[in-house]
Amino acid sequence: MSALRMQGVGFTYPGAPAPALSDCSFAAEAGQVTWLTGALGAGTSTALLVAAGLAPRHTGGDRTGVVRTLGEDPALPASRAALGGRVALVLSSPATQLSGIAETVAQEVAFAPANLGWPRARIRSRVADAMDAVQIAHLADRDPGTLSGGEMQRAVIAAMLVLEPELWLLDEPTSALDAAGRALIHDMMRREATRGAAVVIASEDADGLLPVAGRLIVFASGRPAIDGTPRAILAGDQVWRAGAASTAIAGLARAAGVVAPYPLTVDDGVARWTR
Amino acid sequence: MDALIPLAMEQVGFAYGSHSVLEGVSLRVNAGEGVALLGANGAGKTTLTRLAMALLHPDAGQVTTVGRHTTGRGPEDLAGAVGYLFQHPEAQLFARTVHAEVAFGPERLGWSAERIRTAVDATLEELELAALAAHHPYDLPQPTRRLVALAAALVAGPHLLILDEPTAGLDRAARARVTEIVLARRAAGTAILAVTHDMEFAAAALDRAVVLVAKGVARDLPLPELLGRHPDFPAPPLLELARRLGLEGVRPTAAALAPLLTSRPQTGTLEA
Repeated sequence: MSALRMQGVGFTYPGAPAPALSDCSFAAEAGQVTWLTGALGAGTSTALLVAAGLAPRHTGGDRTGVVRTLGEDPALPASRAALGGRVALVLSSPATQLSGIAETVAQEVAFAPANLGWPRARIRSRVADAMDAVQIAHLADRDPGTLSGGEMQRAVIAAMLVLEPELWLLDEPTSALDAAGRALIHDMMRREATRGAAVVIASEDADGLLPVAGRLIVFASGRPAIDGTPRAILAGDQVWRAGAASTAIAGLARAAGVVAPYPLTVDDGVARWTR
Repeated sequence: MDALIPLAMEQVGFAYGSHSVLEGVSLRVNAGEGVALLGANGAGKTTLTRLAMALLHPDAGQVTTVGRHTTGRGPEDLAGAVGYLFQHPEAQLFARTVHAEVAFGPERLGWSAERIRTAVDATLEELELAALAAHHPYDLPQPTRRLVALAAALVAGPHLLILDEPTAGLDRAARARVTEIVLARRAAGTAILAVTHDMEFAAAALDRAVVLVAKGVARDLPLPELLGRHPDFPAPPLLELARRLGLEGVRPTAAALAPLLTSRPQTGTLEA
């Protein structure tokens, strides 16, 4: 069973003139980092919201087609209990994801396990591990509301890491993070995939994700248009025609009139342009 | 003369309640300079920019923005002289059309209708937003809204432009546009103070790095001396490539590098 499967999915936001997803079909597997990208409005963020059940539950709108998140239809009210604690959704604006009632970062991270009725000792040890994994142990006693954007994002991720979710849905999770924070999240994604979780990330950070993702799906017009390994896709022309971005070096190669396949990394570029 | 210094901070301290964020910070930004304000999450970068725009006031020391002490002043007293782009521009957009949004600042400054129209049109043109002038800002995708907020920050021709993550969420083409605009404004004398995690943007558009660590300025040095020379600040790909190809000193943008590479032999391909 795929961790996430969409079959012929359509989704239209309330009042929107055009659908955000249209005949969208793809699956994401456990143990792999699946990276979604595309031009603005191509549908990657909406696909994650639909997979998490937030669309249409919170956004309103109409969904058609088949969605199976860990085997459940996330739009059904009954799925909330079945998926609770098993799916981690991380958005680019962490402030909207804090519980708002925890007085400290440690409480924030312990919030979901406590709600799920875990034994106290297990909560304590898992919370400590999760805070260590994203290097926020030193913030344990801080008020979450006073954290910087990047610190808040780490706290939000720790609060999900603690649950050992089976499926990660991450929408531009590193946009508020510095280089060290990005590397930390990319390492976390790799480790989670190795642990056996399915990791699905929507991102435009081609330079950051090239070494992380095992599979790339380029969206266009609300559905997957290209599906394959990041290296093969990013070296080609099709990704540009889809309005998505490749790496900085590929962009430079295009501007310099190089014919595809484009060099993708600095090493590739040095090999190509050294006399 | 003081009036010509876009930003001067002397021994500035600031705390949120009992949580001290900045201590003994001194910093000067000159006309035309492009300063990247760097440091780990939580080091006080956003707080420093809010002190510079008089949105916050120092607990100790003095902040002088475009020749005016910020003590007893608010952002409205610096209007026109200082432009700023918040990290979440939703916080600063409120008008019914893009044109009205960008015109709001000049209207508050009491400019004549014709001067406002000329300035707004020119700024929308500069940001390639002219076609969207009649749109409601909230009907636009989030990255375009950021550019509208940037237009509003630029329209009055500020001496100091404060940018908080100006390229966040922008695609590569829009990031290149913002880079060009920052370079053009700097050439015209505007000082730029930018909080950014985007080292590709910083390397392309800015020249100086100010690194905040543990409540103070830990380093103040030319950006090329920081990027790739310190584990926390890896060189962005184009800068690293330029260095390895012996093109150090060339601005690390695709636009600047591409013409220098087209004449190079392309090993590994059949083309001449």
